[in-house]
Amino acid sequence: MSRFSLSDKAFDRLNLIFVLLVTLIIIYPLIFVISASISDPHAVNTGKMWLWPVDLTFEGFQRVFQNDAIWTGYKNTILYTAVGVIIHLFVLLPASYALSRKELMGKKAWLWFILFTMLFNGGLIPTYLVVRNLQMLDTMWAIVIPGVVGAWSILVARTFFQQTIPDQLVEAAKIDGASDIYLFFKVVLPLSMPIIAVMALFHGVALWNQYFNALIYLRSEDKFPLQLILRQILILNEVSADSASSAAGSAQSFADQIKTASLVKYAVIIVSALPLLIVYPFLQRFFVKGVLIGSVKE
Amino acid sequence: MAKNQSIQKGRGAVIKKNFLRNWQLYLFMMPVFLYFFIFHYIPMYGVQIAFKDYFATLGIWGSEWVGFEHFERFFSSYYFWRLLKNTIILNLYMLVLFPLPIILALAFNELRNGAFKKWTQTLTYAPHFISVVVVVGMLVAFLDPNTGLINHLLRALGMDTIPFLTSPDWFRHIFVWSGQWQTLGWSTIIYLAALAGVNPELHEAAKVDGATRMQRITRINIPSIMPTIVILFILNIGNFMQIGFEKVLLMQNTLNSETSDVIQTFVYETGILEGQYSFAAAVGLFESAINIVLLITVNQIARKVSENSLW
Amino acid sequence: MLKKWFFFIATLVFVSALYACSGGDDGDSKEGEAAGGDNVNATGFPIVEEELELTIFANKPAQNEGNDWNDILIWNTYRDLTNINVNWNSVSPDALEENRNLALGSGDLPDAFFLAELSNTDLLRYGSQGAFLPLNDLIDEYAPNLKALMENDPTIEKAITFPDGNIYSMPSLIEDDFLSLRLSARPWVNEDWLNELDMDIPETTGDFYEYLKAVKELDPVGNGDTIPYGGTDIAELVQWLSGSFGVMNHGASNTNLDLDPNDDSKVRYYATADEYREMLEYIHMLYEEGLIDQSIFTIEWGQFLANASDNLYGSMIFYDPIELFGEEIGSQYNSLAALEGPDGHQSYNKLSSSVWTPDNLVITSENPNPAATVRWMDHFYGDEGAELYYMGVEGETFEIEDGEAVYSDHILNPEGDMTFEQAIAQDLTWLGSISGIIKADYFQGGETAPQSMEAAEKIEPQVIDEVWPRFTFTEEENRILQSTGEDINKYVEEMRDKFITGDEDLDNWDSYIQTIEQMGMEELQEVYQAAYDRYQSN
Repeated sequence: MSRFSLSDKAFDRLNLIFVLLVTLIIIYPLIFVISASISDPHAVNTGKMWLWPVDLTFEGFQRVFQNDAIWTGYKNTILYTAVGVIIHLFVLLPASYALSRKELMGKKAWLWFILFTMLFNGGLIPTYLVVRNLQMLDTMWAIVIPGVVGAWSILVARTFFQQTIPDQLVEAAKIDGASDIYLFFKVVLPLSMPIIAVMALFHGVALWNQYFNALIYLRSEDKFPLQLILRQILILNEVSADSASSAAGSAQSFADQIKTASLVKYAVIIVSALPLLIVYPFLQRFFVKGVLIGSVKE
Repeated sequence: MAKNQSIQKGRGAVIKKNFLRNWQLYLFMMPVFLYFFIFHYIPMYGVQIAFKDYFATLGIWGSEWVGFEHFERFFSSYYFWRLLKNTIILNLYMLVLFPLPIILALAFNELRNGAFKKWTQTLTYAPHFISVVVVVGMLVAFLDPNTGLINHLLRALGMDTIPFLTSPDWFRHIFVWSGQWQTLGWSTIIYLAALAGVNPELHEAAKVDGATRMQRITRINIPSIMPTIVILFILNIGNFMQIGFEKVLLMQNTLNSETSDVIQTFVYETGILEGQYSFAAAVGLFESAINIVLLITVNQIARKVSENSLW
Repeated sequence: MLKKWFFFIATLVFVSALYACSGGDDGDSKEGEAAGGDNVNATGFPIVEEELELTIFANKPAQNEGNDWNDILIWNTYRDLTNINVNWNSVSPDALEENRNLALGSGDLPDAFFLAELSNTDLLRYGSQGAFLPLNDLIDEYAPNLKALMENDPTIEKAITFPDGNIYSMPSLIEDDFLSLRLSARPWVNEDWLNELDMDIPETTGDFYEYLKAVKELDPVGNGDTIPYGGTDIAELVQWLSGSFGVMNHGASNTNLDLDPNDDSKVRYYATADEYREMLEYIHMLYEEGLIDQSIFTIEWGQFLANASDNLYGSMIFYDPIELFGEEIGSQYNSLAALEGPDGHQSYNKLSSSVWTPDNLVITSENPNPAATVRWMDHFYGDEGAELYYMGVEGETFEIEDGEAVYSDHILNPEGDMTFEQAIAQDLTWLGSISGIIKADYFQGGETAPQSMEAAEKIEPQVIDEVWPRFTFTEEENRILQSTGEDINKYVEEMRDKFITGDEDLDNWDSYIQTIEQMGMEELQEVYQAAYDRYQSN
């Protein structure tokens, strides 16, 4: 192993260079999107814009913000995301914790019960009927409840609990007479901030970006989330742009639509992603080592 | 017989005792149980349309049984082997790149400068928010035979241009690496969280023993996050046959379909667009069956090799 | 204790399950079903005396961004006229398939489907199941406008009649004479460059080749950036040239299918014909020599439009150049007709049938008053209805100038940043769709712009006599079309493009034919022949 070893300083330097390199490669699409959002679409379409903005224009953003519905959309999305994440954590964390405990009987059955849903689903119509019969149509609940938790999150969170909560800790607390509920809230959760932050982030981002449930379950426009509004502005039928041209009575209207789309499509990304990018550094503090077993253990 | 009964009684007593002592744990499982039951298991009857000729107006229960007709149709399709092959190769390719985010996460974890760490992480995870339409649009902008940056470069170097977008040979590379490009930073997050859970005492002790940074990574960090890695790998396998078909569809054209035609796009074209939901469901079931087999196999292997497994 | 606990949970779950399942499929009985027949006036307006409420599921094309069909000039006007109040359940094209399927499958059938892109397969399936009503008699009785059109043009009836003899839908039609619309994208050449090259407008495939070659050499754009021929889809070029090589002789509605030139009782799958091969050889030559845009297989509309407005194209198949690229560049283009091919073929085959789609309006079994609904739709097959749908209301959205309907100034020259299309979408809903019948006299868009009309006039003498609509098939035939048919068509399309680019050598033609035969060509041929025989005898 020692042949292999680097001095810590050299390691730091190499590591820095590596991260910098990766970041530079990945940052490129970001710069592209930002530049494209304030460039003349013509320059973007003809490949003249490839790094810095060409023929500066803010029309894309103007078009997006001219739409009053955007603010309602923001409000709705923030609400759906916040409520959805809280329910998500409420459903996810206790179950993942319970699954991580040896005392839980029938673990294999539980696991298959959960895994099975990852592998099979009944399809759109039966799910729709359930949502409808629970009177959730056209309400916020249709957005936040179906898909509130998935097998993936449960199993990942469970692994985390298994890993970070030592059995001795649980046993000791139990001998002191602590109940599982007490243990979970007072000991386990404070130790699990990183996984809570990650799960909240993953689910929050998924909720923030999703539009399909809204498309199926919502009718009232004042309940539409941001993504739906943005798609309407973009008015680009993504998968079947080809067929749209033939279905259009007037090609001109389709061409017009394309022009609008190329004007706003980059601005739309920025408008929708910015809040999440701002949130991330705040969540990141929970990843910092320190809230650790050692400090709570005594 | 009597002995048997007493054993059962004994076991019943054990269960009862366990339950009484740990009932709160079962309570913890309740929300998940109810959610999956109501929103996944009740609708599960919809799976039967794979064996039926689904008529929307007759409903799922009322449609006529046709047995394995849809499966046979899929298996006997001229394109079946091509679809299967492409789907598997594409997935294997993506699977091979599974360690990339782990490496990056380990590297992030070693950064000392807090601000730099914060910035690089935020920047690398941002591309996750770019929609696939735009990503594919950017690929076209880069790789276009006339106006694309790369081909400009090739021309300037006196080389022949390459029809990246219509070439079956290039499709897989472009698809997989552009995917990495977009999700690499995002995928590190979960590992970073796992790394945050590593017991610092281990590092302190290693430092005292004079271990180098590299040694601490290979001997402390990697083993500590190994369970997470294994679980994520297994779960990945559980989704093996699924490919984000929207991106494939956007990148697909008649000239590269030799490699870009995958099961999902086929189902989209022949099932969904034509309203053949039964056919689409049958193909979906086929994929699930493969995934189950893979999942069990990989889990078994993982249990033997690393002691970490789902069950 | 444990058992009790479990029992309790199980009960809880089952109650919720029952709750979830109950009411799933109970179609509540409609009131006033019997009243349907009485509450309709045979002619004139209003259509019904007592106000009638209809719920119609509609595909709302993307160009209608932000307008509300439940409160918009055209539908408000029509409601006041007919006394039928439509509750539009309008769905974005993103989720059309899913929402339509939900509407059909959840037991909440609307009263009708409007522009919902129901395929012929769906029409037959749900029609024969009784979910969609057969409209034969209702059309006879309550749709005088459509009836008149059908008598005038037998194609319409053939296109919408299924093998079981029933009509399940009212179609979207293009006036037979409105050639400019039926042509869609049409061929153009850059006349300025022709003049510069001292060449005439190409009339044969040879001329066309010479022109493209000359353009490439001339390179008016400079730097080798000139694109002799460009388009958004190679299929446009193939379809246009098919008239010069003698394939696709009855239009493009039925994929790769035309009439056997040697036996007019037989259909021909022309993708295996020698003429087709000859055409591919020609196109391959163009591609090989760099005369066709090398990015034609991947180009997006946005990029194409941008290139065109940079004036890169020597020729193209597209819509009205002046409207789309502006006066300066657009006016350089002149139109092409059909080229004469090496064997003397010269006809213009690339146009749509006058039946645009069969499924403009479909009436469901839930509809409380089918007769009134048929009348409601039928209005749009007449002049007044076409005027209302495409032009709106006189004095509000259009004026009559010199006997012609012209959009009002606030639409033609909208205030601020608004475009013409957005101004239209505030009052009308036709953008992105064809409903009822579309007529040149009551339509103002790219297709009626002078340049496009001129092109259509030039093309008219060469247009083929008969353009087939999409044939209708039986359930059994659909099954074959969806499996063997799909596979073969996909293979043919893939090979077409490979032959063109040279990825596949045309010397491999025989193995191409062999593969198609192995895939089940014979069976497919029989299906097509049966459909054609029915079409002829109807």
